[in-house]
Amino acid sequence: MTPFIRNMFVVARRDFLAIVATPTFLLFLLAPLFMVGMVLAGGMGASQLADSARGKGRIVAVADPAQIEALRAADTRLRAAMPREPALLELRVASPAADPLAIAREKGRDTYAVMSGPLDAPRIVEREEGSGSGRYLALLAGEVRRAEAAGDLPPVTPRFESLASGGTSIAVQQSLGFGAVFVIFLLTLLLAGQTVSSLAEEKGNKVIEILAAAVPLESVFLGKLLGFLGVAVLFIAFWMALAFGGGLIAATQMDPAAIAAAGKAGKAATALAATPATGWPFFLGIGFIYFVMAFLLLGAVFLGVGAQAATVREIQMLSLPITIFQVGMFSLCAAAASAPDSGLARFAQIFPFSSPLAMAARAATDDSKAIHLLALGWQALWVALVVWISVRLFRSGVLGSGKSWRFWRRDRPA
Amino acid sequence: MNDFSVEANGLTKYFGDYKAVDHVSLSVPAGSIYGVLGPNGAGKTTSLRMTLGIIDPDEGTSRLLGGHKPQSVRGRIGYLPEERGLYPGMKAREAIAFMGALRGLDWSEGRRRAATFMTELGLERVIDAKIRKMSKGMAQMVQLIGSIVHAPDLIVLDEPFSGLDPVNQERLETLVRREQARGATILFSTHVMAHAERLCDRIAIIARSARRFEGTVDEARALLPMQVRYTPRDAGDPAAVAATLPAGAERRGDAWHFAIEDGGVEPLLAQITASGHGVTGLSISRPALHDAFVHIVRQVDAGFDADAAEDAIEEASA
Repeated sequence: MTPFIRNMFVVARRDFLAIVATPTFLLFLLAPLFMVGMVLAGGMGASQLADSARGKGRIVAVADPAQIEALRAADTRLRAAMPREPALLELRVASPAADPLAIAREKGRDTYAVMSGPLDAPRIVEREEGSGSGRYLALLAGEVRRAEAAGDLPPVTPRFESLASGGTSIAVQQSLGFGAVFVIFLLTLLLAGQTVSSLAEEKGNKVIEILAAAVPLESVFLGKLLGFLGVAVLFIAFWMALAFGGGLIAATQMDPAAIAAAGKAGKAATALAATPATGWPFFLGIGFIYFVMAFLLLGAVFLGVGAQAATVREIQMLSLPITIFQVGMFSLCAAAASAPDSGLARFAQIFPFSSPLAMAARAATDDSKAIHLLALGWQALWVALVVWISVRLFRSGVLGSGKSWRFWRRDRPA
Repeated sequence: MNDFSVEANGLTKYFGDYKAVDHVSLSVPAGSIYGVLGPNGAGKTTSLRMTLGIIDPDEGTSRLLGGHKPQSVRGRIGYLPEERGLYPGMKAREAIAFMGALRGLDWSEGRRRAATFMTELGLERVIDAKIRKMSKGMAQMVQLIGSIVHAPDLIVLDEPFSGLDPVNQERLETLVRREQARGATILFSTHVMAHAERLCDRIAIIARSARRFEGTVDEARALLPMQVRYTPRDAGDPAAVAATLPAGAERRGDAWHFAIEDGGVEPLLAQITASGHGVTGLSISRPALHDAFVHIVRQVDAGFDADAAEDAIEEASA
């Protein structure tokens, strides 16, 4: 191990331990729990609201007694093919008292549409103009008329076959790419921003002079980045382990038949069955490496910027532009992920600070693997460059060393 | 390998328009204890920082431990900065091991030596105490141990005695002598003359950004004439006594104070014996380093004041 690397690890070890061995870290580690709790509570509330409202919605068809059965049969047939199931159909026998407007205004139920009159020229009273419920009732009327005209047909018995390994659709791969961009963005947003204040401690307690005297500042900067990366990885590992363990426990609690049933019907199964262009193991692995790169790149920028700040207030002020910068990179990469092979995507892949996100998305849609090696090298080069520049600025600006980099200032008299 | 641990030549540093250090050169013989003395704000700390390569000089060079660049021999140097700083959350033992590890010392070895050093310096109670729980002086001793724990060949201490009580100052002096006996070169700055006088083989005096003196303590003291304190047995007529003494003799109580040149001791003795006033007390001694220091700094200040006055006159006449 060269002295430079060893020094880096000494600094990284100190930072890692100083962060992890505090009660605050526990709070930090468990913070997502609050978020998950909030999302769960909110989600449950929302779905309860939806549930309680769902039973109360209806559409009404007022028809002759002779047509009631035909309507019910047609409804059963059509309902199954609708992408979104229509509201419950209520059938009423036509009578002079049955006024569609009065039915539509009945209290206690949400009535979306009421159909009355002869089926060849029905009167449909809608709650909202051009609603799906109204069109469904019209379709229903047509179906009953067709059935009446054609007489009883033998039921169609289709045989369904699914494409077992026909590859994953491009749309699914693109959404996988978007997912990768989003996950990496979220993690860097949560974790990389901390680096901005990391040199404030050393400047506050004057340890910086010991560090500057004992080791090259480059290894101090890189060591700090590494320490924070260690914290981030610990954080991710903790939550991964928790999610994995939770999943296992849930799986043992559940009936295997239920899992099989859920697997057949669930949408999750289709997503899991989808494979990124480079395959799952490579995709996950390269995704993690790109997260590390995104963390190092953004962290290096934030560290360098934060090192210039003189006070805690300045650091707080810096957090907004930093967040905006990250969101900007995310928007760029999200746009790029939805349009692979476009000029925008090329730009996002080459621009160093969006490159890790954009390249992770590319791994989902493009099956060439060698390009990632190139990208990683390019990004590593930028990490080194950013650290190098940060150290130069720090030395001249904060330690008051070397030639002044503030070239716009008046030079000293000779 | 040559005989100097520190060779700094013409170090110059500007802070904006202000020349903080003006062509300061330091040559510290290997194995010696070397003091950099100077009033507050004279440029001592900046000179030391440039010597160690923490900040880059605007002009001049610094070579350490036989012609090496400061950055290439970091592991062989120990440095106690003027602005003390430790991580408050660290335990003393860990803090010392950390500072050792930065200089390339093994962590476990650093921890072991930390305990040894702290026990020797009477700090065994706080080996596993956190820095924030310690007094300022204790923390300073911990930092001092941290800067020498890796047994460096060159130890640079910036104002090591400030903030320490007399007992700890004494311990520090012992420590410095022991490190010298081990073979290390010690370079320290101070504005307390007593320590320099007791410890230093050589000193440099920096005032108003420039080096004003370099040499041994005795050479510095020799800058001023010897001081004589003479009490005659027969105090009879002061004017008669004064007539036998060099001009400028001053009477305080029974004693007379005056200065003589180095060669003037024997003639003075002969003169006193011949005068017949008798002797109840006579001391002839070099002035302390303190006096020499004040003398040099005052001279420099007077020069600056004169320059300023001349400038003012020129400006007024212009």
